[in-house]
Amino acid sequence: MNVPKFMSRDLSRRGFIKAGLAGAAVAATSKWSLAQAQEPNVLNYLSWPGNADPYLIADFEKEHGVTVRIKEYVGGDQMLAVINQSPPGSFDVVLADAEYMHLLHEADFIEELDPADYPLEDFFPEFQKFPLHWFDDKLYGVMTDFGYLGLSYNTDVYKPEEVQSYAALWAEKAQGKVGFFDWYLPSMGSISLAEGNRPPFDIDSEHFEAVKQKLFSLKPQASGFYTIADIFSSLTNGQTHLVPGIGEWITLGLRLNGVPVDTIIPDEGGLQWTESLSIVKGTPKADLARKFIQYTTSPEGQVKMATKVDNKKSIPSMAGWRLLNETMPTDAEILRLTFDAPNVMDEYKAGKIAFRQLPSQQSIEDWNDVWSEFKSL
Amino acid sequence: MTDSIHVDGATGSRRAPASRVGSHSFMPVVLGAPVLIWQLVFFAAPLAFLLVVTFWKVASFKLEPAFSFDNWTKVLLSGPYQKALVYTAGTASLATLLTVLVALPAAYTIAFRLSPKLRNLAVTCLIVPVFSSYLLRIYAWQIVLSPEGVINSVFKGLGGAGLSLLGGQLALQIGLLTLTLPVAILVLVLAFSGIDRTLIEAAENLGCRRSKVIVHVLLPSIRNAIVLAASTAFILSFGDYVSPLFMTGSNPPTLSILIVDTVKSGSQWPRASVIGITMLAALILVFVAGQLLTRTGKGAQ
Repeated sequence: MNVPKFMSRDLSRRGFIKAGLAGAAVAATSKWSLAQAQEPNVLNYLSWPGNADPYLIADFEKEHGVTVRIKEYVGGDQMLAVINQSPPGSFDVVLADAEYMHLLHEADFIEELDPADYPLEDFFPEFQKFPLHWFDDKLYGVMTDFGYLGLSYNTDVYKPEEVQSYAALWAEKAQGKVGFFDWYLPSMGSISLAEGNRPPFDIDSEHFEAVKQKLFSLKPQASGFYTIADIFSSLTNGQTHLVPGIGEWITLGLRLNGVPVDTIIPDEGGLQWTESLSIVKGTPKADLARKFIQYTTSPEGQVKMATKVDNKKSIPSMAGWRLLNETMPTDAEILRLTFDAPNVMDEYKAGKIAFRQLPSQQSIEDWNDVWSEFKSL
Repeated sequence: MTDSIHVDGATGSRRAPASRVGSHSFMPVVLGAPVLIWQLVFFAAPLAFLLVVTFWKVASFKLEPAFSFDNWTKVLLSGPYQKALVYTAGTASLATLLTVLVALPAAYTIAFRLSPKLRNLAVTCLIVPVFSSYLLRIYAWQIVLSPEGVINSVFKGLGGAGLSLLGGQLALQIGLLTLTLPVAILVLVLAFSGIDRTLIEAAENLGCRRSKVIVHVLLPSIRNAIVLAASTAFILSFGDYVSPLFMTGSNPPTLSILIVDTVKSGSQWPRASVIGITMLAALILVFVAGQLLTRTGKGAQ
């Protein structure tokens, strides 16, 4: 038997690292191609899936004679992993959730923006100087869309007044029927709100322990921990009747397809997710990136953002609302983006909404560990 | 070795006589080398890398070479890992037991009780699912088992209350058996078919009833195949990701799900690798145990 030489060699510390680096080199070949990224007529876009849908970007591509090349990520952790592992110049523009903006800023991955370049005055006053996009009074990201996370429920099983409070999750009726989106942040954030913590992610160790115990007490109610696709199917096939920490971005589409589901922002409050666009530091195409942000935040771009078929979002631009109401009044009504009727700004103005943020007094890992423990109870 | 290649190369198209020194070892080397290289590049090297990575660190989402046992202690001492290990091993053991219990009578019936025509049909029906997508089959089970699914519609139509079928060990085992049964039954049918029929005739001529024939002639003859079927079932269900995810909604998580969770939160590839290595170690243990079982079987014969 011939034992390959490298295996019989003493595995010293240096050997270990060398072998590993060789492996890493192999792994690196599957990465985003830098040469392609640097072609002048390509805009490299790091974003959640679906944001390079022709419905959204075809007009921009035609107007500027460029191609938008998207690198998709699922979740902020993955976004940070991709941007950390890619050589500078790989991306020109990045779409990020607000809670990750301070990490992008601290790691010096994004450019400071000139507020005058963007139609911020079109935005609702609440969103013109959105706190999670400004650092030291300097702008780093322009909001493109947002939505709320509350308590989603099966409307055949629950009347709205039964789900006014997160307490519905613990009721006997919900036993084995509470589904969870398998991401610690919105799920534990909802439980923190249920515990009365405002803001929900900035809590001391005592309150963190209370949130943990409250979460653990939900285990007998749990039907499962789902990916996005499985949230859709488990709400549709009746496996779950209640899901905390998700919102209309899931239930609106389902409801339009005849599934009896809705989302409520309970009395204890809901969370807001927010997406924004930033220019990646060191890009030679900052000009094109700026134009892309301008396009996405223009009334036309905003209307497209709100009405994309698979993922309906709320938009911060009043000019966008106006255009939507003129051109697609039915959609505006369904999306609750009308000025003269109850609309998505009501919850915000009622003070029911807390920002989805990363935990500030504990590490992400601490929260993740609690979530893992909860799942395996 | 290079010498023999050289000699053969020199004789070229004249074809080396069989008696020439070295030509005996030449062909096996030529035919075997690609397999060996393939194994080294695509199995041994990644495996070595997996092991190396377990000692690395993750700093700001990037893997950094290091030599530390932190990942090992962190993973091995964590409650979720230990629970997932026990749960996964228990689930896989149950799936193995069920597979053998269902597969043995099924294989016996196919091999001995069916007409040749029906037997071929049955074997075809077993082979087809092996080549169809397992994921699709699990999605199909979701449709059948879900609260608004096929079974519940029929049941409710008959005036019964809805059954909670999806989620839990029942659904999980149905999913795992979907994966393991076709393979196990095929292995056992082939083994049953290979039994020398004169042995059965001899036993019957000597007055054995069918049950005695099965216990004393058939089962001992296919002992190795049973061990093979069982260890295959265990290996498949121990590492499965699809059924725990879609049939039980990761509630509770198995080791495979834990690997994904570990990577998802904070790019902890090193810790995920630790879980992967321990899963491999568990499977090697099962494999070795199976080998020992078949060996003692040979010794007894």
